[in-house]
Amino acid sequence: MELYTKSATELGRMLRNRECSAVEITKASFSRIAGVDGKVQAFLTLNEQAALEKAAEVDQKLAAGEILSPLAGIPVGIKDNICTKGVKTTCASKMLHNFVPPYSATVIQKLENLDYTLVGKLNMDEFAMGSSTETSYFQKTANPHDLTRVPGGSSGGSAAAVAAGEVPLALGSDTGGSVRQPASHCGIVGLKPTYGSVSRYGLVAFASSLDQIGPMARTVEDVALLYGAICGQDVMDATSASREYPDFTKSLDGGVKGLRIGLPKEYYGEGVNSDVRDAVLQAVKALEAQGAQVVDVSLPSTPYALSAYYIISSAEASSNLARFDGVKYGYRTPEYKNLEELYERTRSEGFGDEVKRRIMLGTFVLSSGYYNAYYKRGKLLQQKTAEEFAASFNDCDLLVTPVTPTTAFKIGENISDPLKMYASDILSVTVNIAGLPGLSVPCGKDQGGLPIGMQLIGPKFSEETLLRTAYTYEKLIGGFDPIPTL
Amino acid sequence: MNIDIKRVAKLARLRIEEEKLDKFEREMESIVAMVENLPELTDKAVGLDPSRPMGLREDKIRPSLKRGELLANAPQTQAGCVVVPKTVE
Repeated sequence: MELYTKSATELGRMLRNRECSAVEITKASFSRIAGVDGKVQAFLTLNEQAALEKAAEVDQKLAAGEILSPLAGIPVGIKDNICTKGVKTTCASKMLHNFVPPYSATVIQKLENLDYTLVGKLNMDEFAMGSSTETSYFQKTANPHDLTRVPGGSSGGSAAAVAAGEVPLALGSDTGGSVRQPASHCGIVGLKPTYGSVSRYGLVAFASSLDQIGPMARTVEDVALLYGAICGQDVMDATSASREYPDFTKSLDGGVKGLRIGLPKEYYGEGVNSDVRDAVLQAVKALEAQGAQVVDVSLPSTPYALSAYYIISSAEASSNLARFDGVKYGYRTPEYKNLEELYERTRSEGFGDEVKRRIMLGTFVLSSGYYNAYYKRGKLLQQKTAEEFAASFNDCDLLVTPVTPTTAFKIGENISDPLKMYASDILSVTVNIAGLPGLSVPCGKDQGGLPIGMQLIGPKFSEETLLRTAYTYEKLIGGFDPIPTL
Repeated sequence: MNIDIKRVAKLARLRIEEEKLDKFEREMESIVAMVENLPELTDKAVGLDPSRPMGLREDKIRPSLKRGELLANAPQTQAGCVVVPKTVE
């Protein structure tokens, strides 16, 4: 078996047993990228020379008898909205086409301390606004399972790179489903952690009260490994929670006996494709056969969550993206007569249409006379949604739902209809609204052979339960599907 | 609802090309129509999660990034400063 097909956990074990070197692992990753990324187009920036130097350093440490972390020498791809010191970070926008961060995000510092290998930066929807990775200023990423289809978004580059075997691990970010939906479309595992469990320092802000960085991989164990490496309190992020986290890889095989699984009926309604619904319910049955109990629950505010999400996230985006003005960093228009013109031209030329739409929506809902009608109602609905989730967790330990109503759509299919595109987030935004953890797990394919994902949602800081349940399912079905032929 | 897209764009320091105004206006109106379905709620909004108060850093001097490193990303600099158009007449 080729090295690029192995999981990070397996590669770490092989490395420590001297079955391969870190340089070989890194070379395998770059040779896979050279072979398939022309088709997949997941990477915006490659970091090959530095990665090989890092790998050689890991091999030297190993030779010197140092005890290495499980992530030492493991190739990781990073979504291009997470700052990497000295390596371009563009948010897939013309606005930041030339931005080289002078510092690294906290998650990157943590991975550096564990001797990971930065392979490169991954494509995404511009400023993480989108559900297909088509709003990237630079390129369109293809779904490795069907190159005519989108990988999902906004972390589409991260999902596609992992699914295509270019890297075993990647980081994405999730504001309304941006880790879980592409993971689902590409047939991999993706975690949106509890709000506050992973530091957002160095993540280019979209909607600060909803954004979380999340791990993506081909196995549950690898997601547990990467999550454990990036979570924890950070003085640089005031919203990061103060608590102890367990080693998530140690509690995976506890089984699901006695676990109460809730099925919220609002997530299985009309708009959900029947192949998707059947596959998710089939997976629930499989867990039931292992001793889990299934209960029906209701989350009545679900139909309004998408509206609340677009109001709150756009309002925060309009404020967060005000910093892009052509003064201190990023793109600056070549022609301007005064400051006003510098701002307007820079922003109009630097942002794409979807980003402009969100900024304007946010500006509108916050503008004088409309604040109470939109933003305030959105925040109230947010609170109600969180309360309904909390109440449902009196009757069950976790919820299982589809991640997204359909499987991956065609490139170009939804791009000219914003509302249709937004609707693909309808089952994932609630998790961000309520600040909960959500795990996307592959659970079969539709009639066209496209991956389907189920979403496990739990109370705040219940990642251990979600990962254990997903791991039980993965072992039960004998592992997820192999990397597709490209 | 009618949305004055030029006004909103102005507030957001954006310029929308004339030929795209109609398209943006239609799209914005349909998005606003979508988000208008929110029910009237009478509860009081709670801004912060009382179970998790935010902790602020101690206010003390610590090493920061070097000026040269920060200015390396600026579009135009002169003598260690960012160059911008005249702002005060």
